[in-house]
Amino acid sequence: MTSTTDLIACPGCDLLLKKIEGVAGKKLFCPRCNTVLIHRKVNSINKVLAITIGGLIAYIPAIFLPLLSLNTMGMSQSGSVFDAFLTFHTQKYYIVAVIVFITSIFFPLLNLSLLFSVSLQLKFRRYSRSLPLLFRTACHMDEWGMPDVYLIALLVSIIKINSMATIEYNTGFFCFIFLVFMTRAATSALDAEIFWRKMEEISPISQDRNHDVQ
Amino acid sequence: MAAGLISCHDCGKLLNGSEISNDSYSVCPRCNGDLHFRKQNSIGRVWALIITSIILLIPANLLPIMRVDFLGTQEYSTIMDGIIYFFHAKDYGIGLIIFVASVLVPLFKIIGMIIILLSIKFKWKRGLRHKTTMFRFIEFIGRWSMLDIFVIALMSTLVSFGGLSSTTAAPAATYFCAVVVCTMFAALTFDSRLLWDA
Repeated sequence: MTSTTDLIACPGCDLLLKKIEGVAGKKLFCPRCNTVLIHRKVNSINKVLAITIGGLIAYIPAIFLPLLSLNTMGMSQSGSVFDAFLTFHTQKYYIVAVIVFITSIFFPLLNLSLLFSVSLQLKFRRYSRSLPLLFRTACHMDEWGMPDVYLIALLVSIIKINSMATIEYNTGFFCFIFLVFMTRAATSALDAEIFWRKMEEISPISQDRNHDVQ
Repeated sequence: MAAGLISCHDCGKLLNGSEISNDSYSVCPRCNGDLHFRKQNSIGRVWALIITSIILLIPANLLPIMRVDFLGTQEYSTIMDGIIYFFHAKDYGIGLIIFVASVLVPLFKIIGMIIILLSIKFKWKRGLRHKTTMFRFIEFIGRWSMLDIFVIALMSTLVSFGGLSSTTAAPAATYFCAVVVCTMFAALTFDSRLLWDA
């Protein structure tokens, strides 16, 4: 029987296939269910590190600085992403407020900072016991951080407001667009398999475990 | 699974099942994630979440989701009212985006998951490849239904000129959020390999 290291199982249908190294930048699909099996990316760790640094720098101005200012009939009003969360809170829609907070403020930050710390540790080959946990959490976070959906919502609101008031675009708006691009770029530069292999390589624990089985 | 191999849900590493299964609790040596052949109780949990979201979908669509105060008049509007308003205003593009994100996507997710669950239950073996692709698509579009909630958040923050013109959220917002969260959890709890086991 071939050993488990020469095989991979399709994540979509559990078909066992012989392991092959994918070509960088090309997707390989499962012959049975068409799920993406392997999508090797070039220089994943370095790219993710660079992108997350950029994203973290833009994060605070993107969330806390006003996005837009509206002027109508001598009155002016502006708001940031954080203010939008506070509005639901003051209107006593607590469940909605919590979900909006998690998806638009908390998880994007968590995702960026987790990926930053994991890729930094992998880059300098520092292993800590919490590393697998951090990376597993980062992989699960991906679905729930929705700054990209928020950006489209922002554009829809601009079109809605456009007829009622004159709009002035503030610093927060441009920082937020930058933040969205950085989070999307981090997701597309991330190759989890490369991260896991690197972690296995530098981990002292998994090497011990191979020698003595309980 | 048939070959006694187990692949880790979290990092995809393939392990020899017979070595590990004698412990009641086992973790992946690479990522420390818990190991299971399949996601646990997947089908039951997905049914529960789907039924919950069908129930929640009723108040989410019938109750008003937004209140607009304009020069002393209060106007409540449901999700559909908002969409119809855009079509009347000839903003067909925006109307279509909101319609797809907050009406079509939740419906598609629920109907799609029901088809998948029924085909596991009755062991329908046709078009498994398409069903898997459909599931990937359901997983991908899930988050886009939050669009409408974010629009309301932004509108009520930016358009608040006191009595002149202001926008606030209304009860359906909570139910709609709950629908989105339930359907997203349903997609995450489902294990597409179960389609191929049947």
